[in-house]
Amino acid sequence: MSGGPASTTAARREVVLGLRSVSKRFGRVVACDDVSLDIGAGEIRGLLGQNGAGKSTLMKIVAGFVRPESGELTIHGKTLGFGDPVVAAERGIAMVHQHFSLVGPMPVWKNVTLSDRGHTRVDRSGVSRQITEVGRRYGLDVDPDAIVDDLSVGERQRVELLKCLRRQPDVLILDEPTSVLTREESTALFRVLRRLARERGQSVVLISHELDEMLEVTDRVTVLRDGRVVSTVESAEASADSLAHEMLGQDFAVSAEVLGLSVEGSHASRARTHAPPRRRAAPAGHDVPVLELADIKVTSAEGHALLDGVNLEIAAGEILGVAGVAGNGQEELTGLLSNLIGPDSGEVRVEGRPIRTGRGRQLGRAGVGVIPADRHDSGCVLEMTVAENLALGSLDGMVRWGVVRQQQLHELGRRLVADFRIITSSLGAPLRSLSGGNQQRVVLARELARKPCVLVAAEPTQGLDIGARGYIWDRLREAAATGTGILLISSDLAEIMALSHRVAVINRGRIIGTMPRADVDTAELGRMMGARTHDRG
Amino acid sequence: MIEDITLIVDSSVRIAATLLFAALGELVAERAGTLNISVEGAMLSGAFAAAYGSHATGSAYYGFGIGVAVGIGVSAIQANLSHRIRVNQFVTGLVLNLLAIGVTSFLLAEVKMAPVQFGLVRIPGLASIPIVGDALFEQRAPFFLLYAFVPLVWWVLKRSRWGLELDAVGENPAAADANGIPVDLRRRQAIYFGGLLAGVSGAYLSVGLIGAFTPNMTALRGFIAIAAVIFGGWTLWGTVGGTLLFGGAEALRVSLPALGVTITPQVLIALPYLAAIAAIALLSQRRRQPAALGQTFRRGIT
Repeated sequence: MSGGPASTTAARREVVLGLRSVSKRFGRVVACDDVSLDIGAGEIRGLLGQNGAGKSTLMKIVAGFVRPESGELTIHGKTLGFGDPVVAAERGIAMVHQHFSLVGPMPVWKNVTLSDRGHTRVDRSGVSRQITEVGRRYGLDVDPDAIVDDLSVGERQRVELLKCLRRQPDVLILDEPTSVLTREESTALFRVLRRLARERGQSVVLISHELDEMLEVTDRVTVLRDGRVVSTVESAEASADSLAHEMLGQDFAVSAEVLGLSVEGSHASRARTHAPPRRRAAPAGHDVPVLELADIKVTSAEGHALLDGVNLEIAAGEILGVAGVAGNGQEELTGLLSNLIGPDSGEVRVEGRPIRTGRGRQLGRAGVGVIPADRHDSGCVLEMTVAENLALGSLDGMVRWGVVRQQQLHELGRRLVADFRIITSSLGAPLRSLSGGNQQRVVLARELARKPCVLVAAEPTQGLDIGARGYIWDRLREAAATGTGILLISSDLAEIMALSHRVAVINRGRIIGTMPRADVDTAELGRMMGARTHDRG
Repeated sequence: MIEDITLIVDSSVRIAATLLFAALGELVAERAGTLNISVEGAMLSGAFAAAYGSHATGSAYYGFGIGVAVGIGVSAIQANLSHRIRVNQFVTGLVLNLLAIGVTSFLLAEVKMAPVQFGLVRIPGLASIPIVGDALFEQRAPFFLLYAFVPLVWWVLKRSRWGLELDAVGENPAAADANGIPVDLRRRQAIYFGGLLAGVSGAYLSVGLIGAFTPNMTALRGFIAIAAVIFGGWTLWGTVGGTLLFGGAEALRVSLPALGVTITPQVLIALPYLAAIAAIALLSQRRRQPAALGQTFRRGIT
């Protein structure tokens, strides 16, 4: 390591967490290969790597959820046994999970006290007070009495963080915390992390594959590739370019565009340097929008407006990006177009024809395809095979006398697996056995195979690595080029900017502005998206 | 007329009490996510053991205690088979229920028992309240345990850490596990608690209410208790209401002919169950069951 001023301060830090030669395999797949790491007190350490590089497994080993084959783990110089999350937590290691460990139907305060031990009685007021107090100290605002199921993903993450911070851990591990957050929420999270490290001397390990945020928030970055540590560098001395090189290795050339977007610093510069995508001229006579939402209102059970008079139009071949902070009506918009909820008033028109929503399959029959935001929840059936999942949208055409014709099913499966380059051991393999990126390809392939006239894509690349992301983007562009109108709902501004022809901003269930991609001013966009937080004061 | 009503209320409450003991235990077990259908077998075994124990010791109180212990014993078999070595919990429960019928019938033929019964206890003053006074305050001794168990179960579910952990285990065992809560242990404990109350229920039936053991005397009341928990939407007060409804319907069945009302007996027998189905269909819109009810927990490969 070079002897810059940053590294000398780092070297002086007391080592809080040490890993020695840790190896772990799942079957034939090597997740961690002889990994050694030292995390200092008050340090924010980034673990960078593509999906499957072994970042998450490594940290699950530290937190006691996964037992490695070999290696040693020390905290404050003392050996800590593997495979016991309770002991790890007692010794000051806390982990915020990628998939949350919250009990949905319970209120926040019950969830927070769930990891407490000892007392026979539950101290509701004490826990609630602590939530408010710790929340205020770190800027994590959560209502202790709110039911977790009613919270947005960002809010749930705040609950997870509160659960950890309340115990004042020595090492706080966050697994892909920003993959579900908006830019604003991420910035707020980073502020909390810095405060933890600087003011309280707590160590933070941040797992991510986002280069920008690594450079923005960490002190040092360790790059993992194929389960091995490639390098550890001072963030101040690293560039996005160099990190990308190390993270991707030979894959560096995969998608210059995707990478370019990630490497550019601010969103403003992205807007300037990238020419807006070309829009295929709609054929004459096709001036009827493929999808029209007219004054859609959806009200929650408690009576407040979730969608408050939404008007949208998408032309054939157009990609309309809906930008916004999570929890401002995006889920309801997707739900409406997936037939999961019906509007209280307003009309949905597909190619000019009004469609009855809220029940049955009318929207699907009319040619609306949906890639839901949570692919595990409503996008696919993990226990079913790849072929079956691919056919789910096209079953109408391959059923005779109530029996699914296996030959057609497999033909379709073979074709789509080849077309979309889905990596799977066989068509009969359960979908669960595929990686996240390949699962998303299955969902995408299924929806596009039906040749929809409208495709709703909600967070289509959430949690995917750069390679998978570029691929999905290319397919969405291709679909638009053949005349499909695409409604892209994303909390990732880079994605909105890279794909959209027009950008609409959603805020508190209302579309508060729509503009062509070329006219987008990112500062203004951010202001419109964040209007809610300003209102809150 | 007033006498008739008093009589029906009294008999409703007596029948409901048998159901309620078992239902309270079942409620706690189901909140932890385990569908403990061996409650019927635990009741029947408890009823027999209490009757025989009372005969052998000459004391209804000792006999009652023996009945409760046997109830816990039966639940221990269920708990360790289904939540330790992970045998299918429905199969385990069914087998235990059939086994209880067989074993108690066999033993009844083998032994001679003199009937022993708890005496009536009357709470002065309160028992003089019109209509409900007799029903609530003049009953066989074990009945009054309800006044302890109902608040206890309320406290357990609403205030105790154990109850909170049971809820977490029943709603999302994976999240509970991530929080360091021993999922299978909590489920076993919940079943032991259910077995204790099933034993109380059976013992109350044989040495309290009837004063003797007869073959298969619980007559599927354990399943009615399960229905009451479902009817009550897995809440305490709903469960209490469910047992009163089923108890009331049963009491009507018994007393209507005696009061001179003539209805086809088949309709009368079906009445409580029709009422149950109608009520559950209406109520199920609002209440949902614990998300992991009936599912065996296995720690996922993380």
